[in-house]
Amino acid sequence: MDSNIIIKLNNVNFYYGNNRALTDISMTFRKNKVTALIGPSGCGKSTLLRLLNRMNDLIDGTRVEGEILFEEKNIYDPEIDPVEIRKKVGMVFQKPNPFPKTIYNNIAYGPKLASNNTGDINTLVEQSLKQAVLWDEVKDILNQSAMKLSGGQQQRLCIARALAMKPDILLMDEPTSALDPISTAKIEELIEELKKNYTIIIVTHNMQQAARISDETAFFYLGNLVEYNKTEKIFTNPDVKHTEDYITGRFG
Amino acid sequence: MEERRHTSSHYEMELQEIKNGLIYLGALTEKAIQAAMQSLTERNTELAQHVINNDDEIDKLDTDMEERCVKLLALRQPAAIDLRFITTAVKITGHLERIGDMAVNIAEKAILLNKEPKLKPYIDLPRMSGLVEAMIRNALDSMIKGDLQAAEKVRETEQVVDDLNEQIFRELLTFMMEDSKSIHRALLIMHVSKNLERIADHAKGIADMVTYMVTGKSVRHKSDDVKK
Repeated sequence: MDSNIIIKLNNVNFYYGNNRALTDISMTFRKNKVTALIGPSGCGKSTLLRLLNRMNDLIDGTRVEGEILFEEKNIYDPEIDPVEIRKKVGMVFQKPNPFPKTIYNNIAYGPKLASNNTGDINTLVEQSLKQAVLWDEVKDILNQSAMKLSGGQQQRLCIARALAMKPDILLMDEPTSALDPISTAKIEELIEELKKNYTIIIVTHNMQQAARISDETAFFYLGNLVEYNKTEKIFTNPDVKHTEDYITGRFG
Repeated sequence: MEERRHTSSHYEMELQEIKNGLIYLGALTEKAIQAAMQSLTERNTELAQHVINNDDEIDKLDTDMEERCVKLLALRQPAAIDLRFITTAVKITGHLERIGDMAVNIAEKAILLNKEPKLKPYIDLPRMSGLVEAMIRNALDSMIKGDLQAAEKVRETEQVVDDLNEQIFRELLTFMMEDSKSIHRALLIMHVSKNLERIADHAKGIADMVTYMVTGKSVRHKSDDVKK
């Protein structure tokens, strides 16, 4: 695998029961880039995102065909432990979902649980919060409940929580759709910063957001990958008419 | 240009209004050139004055079109073909406004020429004018239809107009060499010819923008060929 490529999908099909949600997807994700997955509701973009850290395993009656290579290995091989995959491929969801614990424990919980982590937890908490640009706002209230934070702060806390596991990849499923414009701008700014050290794959319904923050954009429709290209190309002169109709607001 | 309509009918309408505005502006400039040329060939100074006075309407429409485009950019955040259409529209309205100014230049020269005896019958100038009027019409038509071939044809015609302009120059030069009293009139006619030639340049500019709008590739400059 090319060293710039972190994940490679080969002929991936995905089924919810008898329903095929993704059809024959082959694509690669590049290291230290932000890739946006766009498309109308039900196009399979979130399903694809959840495949990348085996979150769909948690749904009964689902089935995957094809292979998803991460570090040369198919993450769906029977000998692979999904928990290990989820450590390396972190996830941030649409709605901020902090644990009902203190700010400190939100970050420390995962690393403590992962027995192999023997480093200094205090340093890790500080580092993670700094990376998520939240440290200055919470450093004096680390023992306060995370539930008291604003929505935007909670979402950055969830990002910090994911970063504390030192992942290679960060998956984001509509991370700003529940946030106000200022909090959204902060998260977008943060994504720009994070891509220096992480690979980010983001699902978004906000096309301006995809245009603003991503390096590459993939357009999905009815479970098919219609077009995958540099973001600039997709938003100025896409190759496929269907992509153009979608991004110019002619359907979806 | 594209069969599929926007989900927002209001947005669809705003884009359509810009198209209609460009067509209307194109028709106004075409009429201005026609009238300016008529004022010359029929020695109608009143008509020439009319062309000069009417330029205000073209200028106002140009400003209005530009404002509409800026508003759409700000409020709709257009992408892809819509983005290319709107940026193209901004450039096209600028070209049309300049064409209007050149019709005024021709009308001003006509007023001066009408004060003196006719130097020669006007044959090539009306032909040139007919060509450039058609160029404007066809260029705008190619924009509405997204027709690359039609845009290419406009570019080809520009060369014909250039050749005519040079021919007129040579001819007027012989007049000037034969009779120094003809110099003033010959120079004025040269100005008219030069203005028509520059109108053709602007029409070509519109056609180039249409090609950009349809393909996303710039063809305006010689260096653009190298990039491809």
